[in-house]
Order: sequence, then structure tokens, then C-alpha cells
Amino acid sequence: MAAAAPEIATPTFSDVDRSVLRVMQTPGLLYWAWIGFCFTLVAIGAALWTRQIYEGMGVTGLRQPVMWAVYITNFVFWVGIAHSGTLISAILFLFRTRWRTAVYRAAETMTLFAVMTAGLFPLIHLGRTWFFYWLLPYPNERYLQPNFRSPLVWDAFAVSTYFTISALFLFMGLIPDLASAREQARGWRRVFYSILALGWQGTDSQWRHYSMAYLLMAGLATPLVISVHSVVSWDFAMAQIPGWHSTIFAPYFVAGAIFSGVAMVITLLVPIRKLLGLEGLLTPWHFDNLAKVVLLTSLIVSYSYATESFMVWYSGDPIEQTTFHMRYFGPWGWMFWVMVACNCVIPLLLFSPRIRTNLSVLWIISIFVNIGMWTERFVIIAGSQSTNFDPSQWGFYRPSITEIMITVGSFAWFLGLFSLFARFLPIISMTELKEGITWLKKALHKDYARAA
Amino acid sequence: MSGAIEIIATFAAEEQCVGGIEALRAARAENFRVFSPIPSEHIEKAIGRGRSPVRAFVLTGGILGVLTGLAITIGTSWEWNLVAGGKPIISWPPFIIICFELMILFGGIAAVASFLLNAQVPALESAPGYSARFCGDRFGVAVRCDETEAQKVESILGVAGAEEVRREQAQPSATLPNGHDG
Repeated sequence: MAAAAPEIATPTFSDVDRSVLRVMQTPGLLYWAWIGFCFTLVAIGAALWTRQIYEGMGVTGLRQPVMWAVYITNFVFWVGIAHSGTLISAILFLFRTRWRTAVYRAAETMTLFAVMTAGLFPLIHLGRTWFFYWLLPYPNERYLQPNFRSPLVWDAFAVSTYFTISALFLFMGLIPDLASAREQARGWRRVFYSILALGWQGTDSQWRHYSMAYLLMAGLATPLVISVHSVVSWDFAMAQIPGWHSTIFAPYFVAGAIFSGVAMVITLLVPIRKLLGLEGLLTPWHFDNLAKVVLLTSLIVSYSYATESFMVWYSGDPIEQTTFHMRYFGPWGWMFWVMVACNCVIPLLLFSPRIRTNLSVLWIISIFVNIGMWTERFVIIAGSQSTNFDPSQWGFYRPSITEIMITVGSFAWFLGLFSLFARFLPIISMTELKEGITWLKKALHKDYARAA
Repeated sequence: MSGAIEIIATFAAEEQCVGGIEALRAARAENFRVFSPIPSEHIEKAIGRGRSPVRAFVLTGGILGVLTGLAITIGTSWEWNLVAGGKPIISWPPFIIICFELMILFGGIAAVASFLLNAQVPALESAPGYSARFCGDRFGVAVRCDETEAQKVESILGVAGAEEVRREQAQPSATLPNGHDG
């Protein structure tokens, strides 16, 4: 745990540098214990995956008719989590939204690690992981080419593009901050930051090209963020399975992705703010605005649930209606109601400005949203396959310990990577905070209306 | 003004730095480089340079991405026909998705590559006049001039509000300041 930062009433450029660079000092034993804990869980997950590769997919709960379940749920969940990072870093950058400056680096980092986590699951789900490259187009002599009409191929292109662009965008933003870190670091850290900073000196020529490249990257990332989760939703919507074959899936999934991602940003930032002593930089004003995004997207998601159910009723299609009846009242029906409670009811508390700025309550609400959004993915993915067209084919899925522990391992992998980043690289953008220092000063004086 | 002396002024605030740049340009002293800890539209406007050529690289990258997408989808579909359910061999709607993703991918890579190329990073040596504080909390202007003009430049920068003005011997091998280094 880093020592608490002194309260700064009117921060200057050097105060911002000091507050952020202080976090990057040598961490204590408790931190390494946490990292050890996370990577122990990762090792358990990796061991179970190894067993799955050795023994085959029989170690999972996947049986006909449910062949996509927890692994694909995790894939969609983590891709969704990734989306808010790009929303906050690219879309809000283009809109020049002032409150994004303090939170965007953490959101962008979360994006990168969430995509890395998501990318593991199609590989795990493949079973024969070593054939993953069959999705990639490359010259070969076996006349095997990907079928470009398949949403799974679109997914391979979309997710790998998203990972590359997110990584480049994060690194671009880091360069000026790494130069600041380089100037104040000693020993191996100075060498480390010097290499990563690429000799950045903040000359007018460097800034001129940097600003243009960053702006255009943001412009490119904006349609990308919409496209990636639309493509993920088409993995389902392009199939004819009742419960999946729906035209509203693309906007519905994009809204859900932003909803869960912003909630995850809150889940990560509230403890980080306290543990790393960043109260002077991450103010209730920032959380208030994040909470408003959660509330807005919660309303969109709730509207989508209602529209989906209405369309099923209005269609008069008995197979769709049966699927949805089982979704509400079947063996996994309780998960549907957990989803409704977490995604539609609990976020309504955020209409209260007092709750939006009460960080403990906000943190608990954000965890409920994370649970609700994971549940939503599970209900759609596994639930819809359970009650297929022919009742004689129905079957209900039970996850095995392998799937559960690999899921736990994926959360540990994500949290471990994020924790490593938070202590060794600038988790808050010093450059952008300095650029918007007047708004930060207003936020620290609780002058929220003027800061916004 | 091209010469053997480097005058380096340090400013505490962006406005003062902008004032210094404007005063230098009014006095026709164009051979300077500016250091800043933040990206500043005001400084960029005061320097009066054109827009970055990064735009052209990104456009080229994007077009190249679309063409690559078309080539791999149409090309491979022609080469290895997949006749399924009466669907056309060249199925435009799904191919557009691949082209779109590759446009973004190539455009993004072009943005980063052209930034590195045009901004000349990685930079292995410090630019003349660079100080560690210019990445932290101070703005800097480094002017290259003749011995005879040094006093005038110092006076301009001092009047603009520089908190420190110092002289250095210009390195003949160093890249030229702002007017010439792209």
C-alpha cells in the first residue's frame, strides 16, 4: 500500500507528477502477496486447461445440445469489459470530455488486459487449441481457407484488430508520461522507462505529429469499438437458434458492453484510489460522471430486455416463446431474475446524486452490475441452447470444476496483470491531467458544475 | 538567424511561453525549438507550422487495409470456391466487415508508424537545450542565433516572462531547431 498523498488544494504540474510517480515506488510485501495469490489461481486454471487438452472436452460440462457455455460466456463478458476503455479513451477524447483525463489510462489498461483475457477463451473452447490458426487466412497447399461468410472469422479479425489498436493506443498515450517517469527514476527503473519512452523530449515537432496521430487513432478506435461488439453479437444473431436470432443484438450488446465496462472501471478505481492514495487526483466528480454512464447504459439495457421479450410475445412464434418461458422460469430461471435485479433495478439507485458520490455504495453497485452482466451473457448463451427446436433434444447444462476454476483463473489473470501495471507504469495520465489542471482544481473544490 | 549560440529560456506558464514565441516570430527569429510537458494548441498556433503529414499516412494505411480486405476475401473465394446454399461466391456484406476491420488495423498501424517516422523517435540523443523539467512542469524555448543577436533574443525572452535565460554553445552536429527539423 502506498503512503497516503497529502491533500492538495490547488495542484500544480509538479504535484500531479509527484502524486502519480509516488505510486510507482517499490511495492511492499502485501502487494507481492496479492500478486502471488492472483498468479497461483492462474496456475491452477492453467493446470486444469492442460488437463482438458490432455483428456479432451469431456472434462467440461459441455454436452449436446449446450456446446457453448461458460467459456464463450467469459469471452463475451471480457470483450464487453474491454469496451468502456475505448469509449472513455477514444470517444470521450473526441468529445473533449473533461472528466475522462483522470480515469482514461486505467480504463485503457483494463481494455488491453480484458481483451487479452477474452482472447484466451476461444482458444480454451476450441479443445484442439493447436489448430487455432485455421481461422487465419494464409497461403497454404491444403486448399483450406477461412469461410469469410462465418461470423467466427469476422470475430477473429475484429478481436485481433481491437487488441492491436488498443495496445498501440495505450502505448502512444504512455510515451510522454514515461518520459516524465524517466527523468525522476534511478537505477534499473530509469533504464526501463528510458527504453519505453523512446527518447521523448516534448519538442514541438514531436507534439505536432503525436497530437495528430493520437487524434486519428481515437477517430479510428471509435467505429472499431462499435463494430467489435456488434461482430461478437452476430456470433449469436446469425444463428437460427431461438433466443439468439435477433436483429437487436448489435446495439443491445454494445450498450451492455459499455455498461459492464464502466462498472468494472469503478470496481477497479475505487480500491486503487484508496490503496494508492490517489484521492487528490480521482475525485468524487470523476466517479459521479462514471456513475451517470452506468445509469444511462443500464436504462438502455433494460429497454433492450423489454423489447426482446415484447418481440418474442408479438411474433407469436411458439418455439421462441417456449425458449423465453424457460429463460424466465426454467432450471436456470433464477439467473434471469438475478440479471434483472443487478442490471435493471439496482442501478436505478444511481439516480440519487448522493449515491453517485458515495464511493463505498457505488463500488458495491458496480460489483452487482458485473455479476449481472456475466449472468446476462450466460443466460443468453447457455440458456438459449438448452431448449432448442425439438423438445426431445432439450438438455440442461452444469458447469464442471474445470470450467469454474478456469473462469476464476481468468479473473485472477486480469487482476494480476492490472495490479502489476498499476505499480510499475503510470496508472493515471500525468500529461492529460496537467492539460486539464484547471478542471481538476475545480473538482477538488467540489465546483462540479463549472468543472463539467 | 543561424549561428553558434543556443539561448534557452524556461517558462513557468504556457501563456508566457506562447508570448515568447510570438515575440520571437515578430522579431523574425524563426530558428527555435519549443519544449512542452503537455500538448498545446496555443503553442502550435504560435509556432505557425502546417498540419502534420501523419494524416496522409493514415489515409494511405486505411485505403491499403480496404484493398487488402478485398484481395483476401474476393481472391481466396475465387481461388477456392465455397458453394453453399446458393449463396454467391462473392458475398459482399460479410466481406465489407473484413475490409472495415483491416482498414482500421492498417490505418492505426500507419498512424503510429508515421508518428515515429515524422517525430524522429526513438531519439537516441537529447535535442539541444533539453532539460528534464521540460517533461515535467516547465516550458522551454531554445533559440539558435549569432553572437551578435544573442542579447536581443535574451531580452525578448526575458520580457515575455522567462524565469531563466541561459546560453549554450551550439553543437554543430546537432539537428537544427524548429525551423528545420520537420
